[in-house]
Amino acid sequence: MSVRGPFVWFAVLGVWLATPAPAGAHRLDEYLQATRLSIDVERVRLEIDLTAGVAVAPEVFASIDTNRDGQISDPEGDAYARQMLRSVVLSVDGRPAPVTLIEIRFPQFREMSLGVGTIQVRAAANVSATGAGRHQISYLNTHRSKGSVYLVNALVPADPRIQIAGQQRDPAQHRLTLDYTVRADASWARTGSLLAALAMAGVLGITRRPRTNAAGYRATAVTPAATGSVAD
Amino acid sequence: MEISAETGRARLVRVVRLTLIWLAIMLPVAVASVQRASPPAPTAVAAQGAVTARVAAAANAFLATLSDAERAKCTFGFTSSQRTGWSNLPTGAFQRNGLRFGDMTVRQRDAALALVAAALSRDGYQKVTDIMNGDEVLKNNRGGRTGGRPGGAGPGAAGGRGSGVRFGLDEYYIALLGTPSATTPWMIQFGGHHLAINVTVVGPNNVMTPSLPAAQPAKYTLNGQTIRPLGHENDKGFALINALNAAQQKQAILSYAVTDLVLGPGADGKVIQPEGIVASALDTRQQALLLDVLHEWVGILNEEAAAAKMAEIKANLPRTYFAWSGTTTNGGLAYYRIQGPTVVIEYAPQQGDLDHIHTIYRDPTNDYGARLVVP
Repeated sequence: MSVRGPFVWFAVLGVWLATPAPAGAHRLDEYLQATRLSIDVERVRLEIDLTAGVAVAPEVFASIDTNRDGQISDPEGDAYARQMLRSVVLSVDGRPAPVTLIEIRFPQFREMSLGVGTIQVRAAANVSATGAGRHQISYLNTHRSKGSVYLVNALVPADPRIQIAGQQRDPAQHRLTLDYTVRADASWARTGSLLAALAMAGVLGITRRPRTNAAGYRATAVTPAATGSVAD
Repeated sequence: MEISAETGRARLVRVVRLTLIWLAIMLPVAVASVQRASPPAPTAVAAQGAVTARVAAAANAFLATLSDAERAKCTFGFTSSQRTGWSNLPTGAFQRNGLRFGDMTVRQRDAALALVAAALSRDGYQKVTDIMNGDEVLKNNRGGRTGGRPGGAGPGAAGGRGSGVRFGLDEYYIALLGTPSATTPWMIQFGGHHLAINVTVVGPNNVMTPSLPAAQPAKYTLNGQTIRPLGHENDKGFALINALNAAQQKQAILSYAVTDLVLGPGADGKVIQPEGIVASALDTRQQALLLDVLHEWVGILNEEAAAAKMAEIKANLPRTYFAWSGTTTNGGLAYYRIQGPTVVIEYAPQQGDLDHIHTIYRDPTNDYGARLVVP
């Protein structure tokens, strides 16, 4: 830390204390952590929006601005995002799915001080073995659980093959468990329909053919003499 | 004769077989196309067209009160980023563009409000003015503070001091995107603290999604009258949840707390997985109550456009969900959400404060008239 670091930090703190806590539409003494999950066949994406209320923003800012220069540098932001994501546990079909940071965006210091600035964390996990069938995703966020409130929701999957069948959460929305199904690939579905149609046609053909044979047999049966061998 | 009968049977089998094959091929196509909505009646379109003409005339009347500089400040391209540049936050916490009411003359303000009134229904305009007056009350009575940091500024402090966060009637803004017209797309953007009204006009169609009506205080007295800007939204929501039987409530009530809007400002284009009870599981009376709740948001817009939107919502009712979180006793804290194919509504008290309500009204298929505007 540089010599001027503490002075800058005190200046930041001073500005903070001089900023009147404004009214509604702002978080006050909570840290809102809102997550949206989007499920793809091979990937789960996480959009995590973190909004610190005016009363907790100094503490959150301090935990990010580790050198206390009043600025959030890229390494500080990156470190905070990774720390945050270490509190996130994602699993698919009971197997851990490591979450990788894609992007983090920080609001202006002033916005944070007003309780309206939102830190945007974007992350994803690769999902390897979710073929057609039933699957389950479990998401758990315990980041700064003291003083935080949580929202967690699944987006309607963009891929029509994926259907969410059920959602369960704990009362505080730390955890979301999603049951979903993946249908077979659309091209396979089309091929399946065609095969089904052909099979149906085939079945009808088969059921018709024996009838023709039977009729022919009956036709010859009524004229045994024609064979010339019945008496033998 | 026998040969003839056989030919008849063979024909029958062939016809049945071809029919089955045809069905196997055509059924998925038919299922995919069955969802299409029927077009509105010509008389309804004509009535909506008349409304558009009225709203465009009001917009041009407002523009006529402005100087060139003011007009330049107030108007934007229809596809500009201003379209999504709205918020529920107060001035100072969010920088709005457009013309600020506090910078307008009385004549300009009147013309701006006349434009808003032309686009909205009588009840909708009343709701908007109730929300605005509430913010003036917030500014005067509480100084914009509702709690939070101990030792912070006291009453009267935040209404315009220090942080630059400002409240009250002067802090509402109006902007027009595109050129007011009866044929080409344009948009009215009006809002301030706890209010964002976005009306997109495309020919005879008027669309009011996304919009955010909110309130703080949720109840106040003005000229001896008790005003609850979102009182109907609260009361009708509680009436609906209490109209459900125990089994239905079990499906509707979420097992977790919802402390804020899920699809608030900035969540354009997001569609969450619906939850709660599906409206097809409600009886006719309950469905009517659900539609009545929805109308509190839909009916902010002028009657003609609202009627068209309600018809669309009604057609999709079997695929519309109602979810509730919190107490079922009116006067307590509760969040609710109504979500259908073409509508999302959320009602969310903020941080356990019954006197501070946020709501959102969206159409995932038609926010900013996306379904109507050809890119």
